Amino acid sequence: MENRTKHLFLTGFCLAQVMAFAPQVFAQERDDWPLIEPDVKPVPVNEALIDTENFEIGAFLGVINIEDFESSFIYGGKLTYHLSETFFFEAGIGFAEGGQTSFENLAGNVQVLTDSEREYRYYNINLGYNLLPGQAFFSENYAFNTNFYLIAGAGATDFGGDTRFTFNAGAGYQVLLTDSLAIDIGVRQHYYRIDVVGAEKTSMNTEIRTGLSVFF
Amino acid sequence: MPIVILLLMLCLPGMTWAGWLWGDDEPEQRVRVVEPFVVWRTGPAVGYPVFHSSEKGEWLTLLQRKTGWMKVRDKKGREGWVAVAAIAQTQDATGENVNLSVPDMKAFSDRKFEAGILMGEFEGSPVTAGYGGYWFTPNLAAELWGSQVLGSASEILMVNANIVHQPFPHWRVSPYFTLGVGHIWVDPKATLAVPEERDNTVGHAGLGLRAYITERYFIRAEFKDYKVFTSRSTNEEATEWKIGLSIFF
Repeated sequence: MENRTKHLFLTGFCLAQVMAFAPQVFAQERDDWPLIEPDVKPVPVNEALIDTENFEIGAFLGVINIEDFESSFIYGGKLTYHLSETFFFEAGIGFAEGGQTSFENLAGNVQVLTDSEREYRYYNINLGYNLLPGQAFFSENYAFNTNFYLIAGAGATDFGGDTRFTFNAGAGYQVLLTDSLAIDIGVRQHYYRIDVVGAEKTSMNTEIRTGLSVFF
Repeated sequence: MPIVILLLMLCLPGMTWAGWLWGDDEPEQRVRVVEPFVVWRTGPAVGYPVFHSSEKGEWLTLLQRKTGWMKVRDKKGREGWVAVAAIAQTQDATGENVNLSVPDMKAFSDRKFEAGILMGEFEGSPVTAGYGGYWFTPNLAAELWGSQVLGSASEILMVNANIVHQPFPHWRVSPYFTLGVGHIWVDPKATLAVPEERDNTVGHAGLGLRAYITERYFIRAEFKDYKVFTSRSTNEEATEWKIGLSIFF
């Protein structure tokens, strides 16, 4: 009996509660006015927050044919600034070591250059031109942006105890694996005057290289 | 295929720390197309094919910029490249045209920093030079130069500081005058009979021309007359001309 009274009382109380709150709930749903005014101001685009990737830094390795001194392994680095979609500046350095001349090989115990003079170093500053931008397709799932570029410039070569003004020109093919990572293969021809084996003459050094670079 | 996976794995660390380095919490930069449409290309150059276009009213998120191109993402997650000139015609959340700096002739006249590489001849020998300059006023700048001269008899290194005055900063082709001092190191070739290393103070005066091309770059050409102050009874004189490409900020 006591239980029954409690039950009736509580049911009545609960119902009363629901009745008391329900209109408010329904009223809220019907009302178009939000309880909290949105405090969001439209934000203008801030250019400084957009990442610009006009610089590129990279490393390369390859083979260079040093005239009269065999072909050698070469490695180096480059820093590129993209002026526009077609033109870019590139500063590069390269390191190699000259081998033996055929005279040294035939005559036996003769050294034309000391070991330190055989160290081959160059730096150059170049202007590049993206001649053929395009896409390359790898299997059916991947498409990569590519650039075939021409490049030419000047700098200096340090070899045979001498530093010589050097022109260089070449071409390369760059494949962008992502928007900020690229691989490329290239050929460069270096021209300079040198007198390390007798009379002064033009030395032509062909370089074949492959590199990896990151945009930032 | 394994090579592609390997290379992609190589870039993974870069992608993860890039977010930490630049900060992921930056607000998204979004613009709304107001022209009838903008075209999307697969890469940042006109040579890349158009593969998509966004119509009037669509919102685009600006991701990154390469030279004159902006990488964008739409609400479906597609990504592509749109010309910055086209983005400059869109509106941001305020309803105003997007404020993007498109370098032009005015930016050239208002530049604060410039840097460049020039090549030419110093007393008949090839010279390669690099410089950086700061503009105090539209007419007056200070510059720092480094040069390497590779002659058949010697190698010369030079460091110079000079002030530049340009009387007509708003001209597209603008002449200027320079005056400065520096130091010269002369390293004769070892093959010479009497190699004599020298280093001397130099003073120089010159005149030149800047010609604005487009975007952020201009051609610069100049002629300089150097006075080398030696410890001997007579001073030496040298002339130099060079031409090159510069960028400004």
